[in-house]
Amino acid sequence: MSPRRAVALVAERELREGLRSRAWRASLAIQVVLVAGIAIISIVAAGGDGPSKRDVAVVGPRAERIGVKAREEQRDFGIELTLKRFGALAPARSAVSDGDIDAALRGRGLTIGEDPDQALEALLQNADRVIAGEDRLRRAGLSRAQADAALNPPPLRTTEVEPSGGEGGGGLAYLGALLLYIAIISFGYAIASSVVSEKSSRVVEVILSAIRPSQLLAGKVIGVGLLGLIQISIIGAAGLLIALFGGDLSLPDSTAETVALVLLYFVLGYAFYGCAFAGVASLVSRQEDSQSTTSPLLVVLIGSYLATNSALGNPEGSLAQIGTFLPPMAPMLVPGRAAQGALAGWELAASIALMVVSILIVVRLAARVYDRSVLRFGTPMKLREALALSRRR
Amino acid sequence: MAGSDGDSALRLRGLSKRYGEKTALEDVSFSVGAGQMFGFVGPNGAGKTTTMRIVLGVLAADAGEVLWRGGPIAAQERRRIGYMPEERGLYPKMRVRDQLVYMAELHGIGKEEANAAAERWMQRLGVAERAEDAVEALSLGNQQRVQLAVALVHEPDLLILDEPFSGLDPDGVDALSGALQDEIEARGVPVVFSSHQLDLVERLCDSVAIIAAGRIALSGRVADLEGSLAETYREATRR
Repeated sequence: MSPRRAVALVAERELREGLRSRAWRASLAIQVVLVAGIAIISIVAAGGDGPSKRDVAVVGPRAERIGVKAREEQRDFGIELTLKRFGALAPARSAVSDGDIDAALRGRGLTIGEDPDQALEALLQNADRVIAGEDRLRRAGLSRAQADAALNPPPLRTTEVEPSGGEGGGGLAYLGALLLYIAIISFGYAIASSVVSEKSSRVVEVILSAIRPSQLLAGKVIGVGLLGLIQISIIGAAGLLIALFGGDLSLPDSTAETVALVLLYFVLGYAFYGCAFAGVASLVSRQEDSQSTTSPLLVVLIGSYLATNSALGNPEGSLAQIGTFLPPMAPMLVPGRAAQGALAGWELAASIALMVVSILIVVRLAARVYDRSVLRFGTPMKLREALALSRRR
Repeated sequence: MAGSDGDSALRLRGLSKRYGEKTALEDVSFSVGAGQMFGFVGPNGAGKTTTMRIVLGVLAADAGEVLWRGGPIAAQERRRIGYMPEERGLYPKMRVRDQLVYMAELHGIGKEEANAAAERWMQRLGVAERAEDAVEALSLGNQQRVQLAVALVHEPDLLILDEPFSGLDPDGVDALSGALQDEIEARGVPVVFSSHQLDLVERLCDSVAIIAAGRIALSGRVADLEGSLAETYREATRR
């Protein structure tokens, strides 16, 4: 049998049994619910950006003119105004104090409730000012058009300056880093526990009577990785769909590239950390012992994540630049820097090249450790011992 | 008694293995003929499992060699061995059928053939009605049947079984030994198994090797033994 077929068989089994397992389905369901919850909350919060509805009572013709003028200008104030005609001030006032309407106008008198809406007040004041100005100018003999022109000069010419890195990229960068961190940590642990469970159930001895340890290692890393890719794709798609259909959350133009980079760096980061987790996990034969051997790796991973978070605050800074070329850190950092437009093309190319080289080294080391320790049962083996042992098991 | 056999299928020559200061095997040699049921007996820690692992290639010897049909055994030929380790090993949550198909495929059998072989062995060993159950849901006796099916499912050229009968009730012993004898009669597959049940070894085997403290104390045909196997064993392991 070709080595490739052996690896494919192992990967296929990992994937199939993983998809079938209740634990995997349950954790996926929980994560989808969490992401959907976050998306829905952010849509509801973003809902504040729409115009706020306000009801204003108008008593008499002058008040009505102010109301009509205010409706012409309401968009600039983020308000959608509904005018309610009242015959007298008293019922209008009590409607305000009952909270049924937001304000009452009679003549040039304004009644507003407690905790007044400043935008509404400004809108009404502005409308009154314009009407008063119009009346004066008309009385001074100007035509309606002349008065209009005098009161409505063309608006200020406004130039928007793009924040460096493009709108929205910053938030997406932190989100991407967090997602990658969670994905790498959960699948690092998944592969570690899968390796240990094969040892603790002793099935590994039967498997190794058929295929080589390096083939088993490669198949497991690929299978668990595919499972991870499926999981983050489903979660990501759920979040994106809800965001796109549920609200007016606009995504930055660079989203597609960011998503592609996140996926690429998930594959690279997982290959790097996943092989390392598999290698150290093979040193122990019981799940209880795996905590102690994986903890140094965990320290590296958490440290890299924290460094990434501070580097993303200053994506052009030296920490960010150095981190781009550090394999433990780059998977979480690079997509984020790119999302903020702070990554040069050569940096990306060099980072990917360095990742690939370091993955090849980790794979070789992991295969070596795996090869030598996977059939050693009992007390955990020392990493140094596994690396130093002669070729013969 | 000379254990060497002109047309031996499997031959171990001068195997030695050390773990640090401890000698696990010292100059271990014996031969197993085609179609032979071969018993490998000895006290705990005498080196039975180490010897079997070396034959399988999951462990490398420090010295000596394993010959198969006259030449050094190749990786390709090792993959044609059916193995049942002493520490039973199955995927606890995997279904019985899936497990057998997977193991057959790992040994290079095509998908369809693997499915047919899995079905056949589940029937033969009486676990067919549990085909869709997870292994962990089976009784220990039934798990042992599945374990033997795993060793047999790829139609191996040689069977290496470490304590295949331990912990089985008499029905289980009959079912397993019956299946092994069928394999020997139908395809001439040599079977090497270790056991502490000396009466069983004496009843089933043509030849035996007794190992004590990493050395072969005696090997040869059961029919040629002067007394019972139990007496010979006590004699051989006392030295």
